[in-house]
Amino acid sequence: MLQQKSKMNRRDFLKLMGAFAGASAVVTACAPEQIPGPDPTRVVEPPINPTGVPPEPALPPVALGIIALNRMAYGARLDDFDAFNALGATDDERLRNYVAQQLNPDSIDDSDFETRYAAAGFETLHKTQDELYFDHIASNPYNSNDDAYWEWYSKPAYELVDATFLRAVYSKKQLVEVLADFWHNHFNVYFWQDDGVPMLASYNRDVLRAHMLGNFRQMLEAVATHPSMLYYLNQNNSSDAGPNENFARELFELHTLGAENYFGVQDPNSIVKDANGIAIGYVDNDVYESARALTGWRVDDDIYEYEDGVEKTGHFLYYKPWHDRFNKLILGKYIPADQEDMKDGRDVLDLLAYHPGTARFISRKLARRFISDNPPDSIVEAAASIFMANASAPDQLKRVVETILLSPEFKQTWGAKIKRPIEAAISMMRAVNTDFTKLPGGIPWMCSMMGQAMFERRPPDGYPDVKEAWANTMSLLYRWNFAVGITENWMDDEEQQRIIRTDIVAQTPAELRTAESLADFWIPRILNRPMSDSDRQAVIAVMAQEYGTQEELPQDHIDYVLPAMVEVILMSPDFQWK
Amino acid sequence: MPTQKFTRRNFLQGCSAAIAELAGARLTNVAFRQDNSSADTLVVVFLRGGWDALNVVPPMAGDDRGYYELARPNIKISNLLPLNDQFGLHPALAPLHGLYQQGKMAVVHAVGLNYDTRSHFDAMEYIELGTPGQKSTTSGWITRHLQTQGVSSILPALSTSGAPSSLLNFVPTVNLNDPSEFSQWDNGLAASQQTALRQMYNGETLLHRAGIRTLDSLGIVSPLVEGEYQPSNGASYNDDELSQQLKTVARMIKLETGLRVATVDYGGWDTHEYENDGDGGYIAELLGNLASGLSNFYLDLDSGYTNKLSVVVISEFGRRLVQNESYGTDHGHGNVMFALGGGVNGGQVYGAWPGLHNDQLYDHADLAITTDYRQVLSEMLAHRLGNADVASVFPGYVPTGEMGIFRE
Repeated sequence: MLQQKSKMNRRDFLKLMGAFAGASAVVTACAPEQIPGPDPTRVVEPPINPTGVPPEPALPPVALGIIALNRMAYGARLDDFDAFNALGATDDERLRNYVAQQLNPDSIDDSDFETRYAAAGFETLHKTQDELYFDHIASNPYNSNDDAYWEWYSKPAYELVDATFLRAVYSKKQLVEVLADFWHNHFNVYFWQDDGVPMLASYNRDVLRAHMLGNFRQMLEAVATHPSMLYYLNQNNSSDAGPNENFARELFELHTLGAENYFGVQDPNSIVKDANGIAIGYVDNDVYESARALTGWRVDDDIYEYEDGVEKTGHFLYYKPWHDRFNKLILGKYIPADQEDMKDGRDVLDLLAYHPGTARFISRKLARRFISDNPPDSIVEAAASIFMANASAPDQLKRVVETILLSPEFKQTWGAKIKRPIEAAISMMRAVNTDFTKLPGGIPWMCSMMGQAMFERRPPDGYPDVKEAWANTMSLLYRWNFAVGITENWMDDEEQQRIIRTDIVAQTPAELRTAESLADFWIPRILNRPMSDSDRQAVIAVMAQEYGTQEELPQDHIDYVLPAMVEVILMSPDFQWK
Repeated sequence: MPTQKFTRRNFLQGCSAAIAELAGARLTNVAFRQDNSSADTLVVVFLRGGWDALNVVPPMAGDDRGYYELARPNIKISNLLPLNDQFGLHPALAPLHGLYQQGKMAVVHAVGLNYDTRSHFDAMEYIELGTPGQKSTTSGWITRHLQTQGVSSILPALSTSGAPSSLLNFVPTVNLNDPSEFSQWDNGLAASQQTALRQMYNGETLLHRAGIRTLDSLGIVSPLVEGEYQPSNGASYNDDELSQQLKTVARMIKLETGLRVATVDYGGWDTHEYENDGDGGYIAELLGNLASGLSNFYLDLDSGYTNKLSVVVISEFGRRLVQNESYGTDHGHGNVMFALGGGVNGGQVYGAWPGLHNDQLYDHADLAITTDYRQVLSEMLAHRLGNADVASVFPGYVPTGEMGIFRE
């Protein structure tokens, strides 16, 4: 069995987890109407390029549908490209319609996927947060010395992995899937986070998916009060006696302002304030003060059984005995002592969610995902303005994403990114119409061999979103091996009756009998565009083997070689760009 | 020299046979190490998460022991293995204590990234790029070291976990975690597919270059790693992530393909809680794996290779002097580094000790830094890696004096 089996106690989880940490501050000030300009006190450093790394050569431009389907979706399935082109008479019109459709997922008929999802027979994913906690943690029916206990304990999280692959391959709500992946990486929670593994299914659904087209401030509080995050970044045992800074630090550095707004270890009074008196960036003291403000934000669990008022429901719990009641100074704002319950922490979330630095940081990350590893400042500023102007809107994030997707920068960029491993794997299955319902464990295992095990990024920063992280020998080799494994039908898990099938020959018109005609059918079928002549010749050569390129091939040769030819197209550089 | 299934000559023959299968192979960047190369193989073990220097090498005596115990009532370490009359090693590091006593390992204390950050990600990036305060640097410090050396060996750089920034934009890097997994899945047509890939990946983008490197590496690694690896001298690697990576590095070193640098990552050091909750705790497990992995690695290579081996153990920062309420420690500053190898002036603790009194702490909270981590690396570059061009490796940095950690 390829999939990792869980058999571990609390200490083992700690070991596996190796999580990181952080805290924050106050103020209910409304968002400024206008986003302030770039901070004049920060020096923009010229890149140090002591070894003369060459700039990346530009790629030939491609049709807008190809850009859209590779960035807003996990690549094209059969007919997706034609369907995009049918959405309008001009590129702009098609893109507008496609974005409108994808940003309103409820309008999309996804019945084929829903049928498949029902057939997959997930046992735990329908459960509410409370049910997950009760059934799989508090009242797990098995003995914790037995494998069955740990299988039942981790089942919701494993089912989440399976369901996420299923959705990404088959759902027509592709942008939803891309965004869910983006936000899980942004607010990363490691699969094996301490104590609350089953809750990952709730976190992904009730926090990330529920808010990712909604309001960032609301999303932030949902994150900060969910057991998955509280456990993962040790907020669950942060008390006034010695605050744990893990969550507070990452709240600043990874979730909101970002390292680009971190001024390091400095006197907080030395930081420039904006017109509202709020510091334009943060220093370590803001992290410490915010950790204090968030003390008492924890899970209602039984870690400390002797306590009054703790009932083991798995809910968020504001535990007043742990809260540091004294005054704090955060990002230049004074937070008085003895505020009402949760007000200190909410003030921190307000300060961060409405900060222009957060608007830029979130916008830059979204633009990095959707446009380029190094997105131009123009689109970052445009999206950040929308973020700020809609700070209280219920569809704030939807508007920000829409701004990015309809931007000239989106339309004019191609090949400034390569697919990350999971994207590559999913897009291969989409391109060759792979059929599965219950996911074999080999699929996520292959992604881990490429360096991107789903939901298993251990540090809280999420998987890298730049090509330098993925253009290396091991990762690329297993990307290629994935093409082979999928196309040759080597990925079944027969013991678990999890079967995955790709039938290349059946998808090929029977009248195509020559190496050239087979290559010329499959290249545009997969890429929706031609290859360069030399790449095409390379593909044809694989198909022809010892035959001539225009010679009629015997059926047994086609049966044997055609999958290998398709694999080469999936392995090609052209298939990796986005 | 050890007995190996493949001698260098056999390797040359095997390799050219393998490469000959790749019609149209471009081998411009593949050549063998020059025989006169006398540089050590460098192995960098990066402990991700910020290891707790003050529990790895705690003060053993004097006022500082008092400050330490006061600050860490629940997680202080006793039963130390003495390094000198001032410091001891965490007891879980016993196997390394042996190497220290034999003079094969040195400890540098109060060392680190002398830059005001307590961010993991910034600190790691600064250290690995070798340019504190500058994240836009386009190459890693090891990249620049290898480039200034004009490396021409067949497999100059190996990373066993991911793509570290220290090797950023060093195209010839081979990335693999287990050589026995490093092969192309083959339905019988892989050779023909590789020919096509070599043609399609002939280009100048990062992706194209990585593709060619992958194909070259397949030709190099796959034929060499058939069968089970047998460590020398009875060395035995545990199953943990670090030990398995070190095993891979040892195996690749013994293939004598001219490996100049290997990077190894070991994560999980961000001990915000339960660092030492009465029975040794979480950090003892990590340290046990570190000690077992490194000592077996050393034993394995003490078969003709350790006289040309330099290992450095580094982490992005140390941790706060004062424990938190979760029996853990939060992000700190000053740190400790280890150096191992035949060319190390071991058995000593290097570095000026700043003390642990509140007035002596960095930001009144953390161990201060008296030695820039680049000082240690610069001495190693000059004395063990044959690279006197420190200014190119660490632009803008001027080493101060000479601590004498490495022999010429």
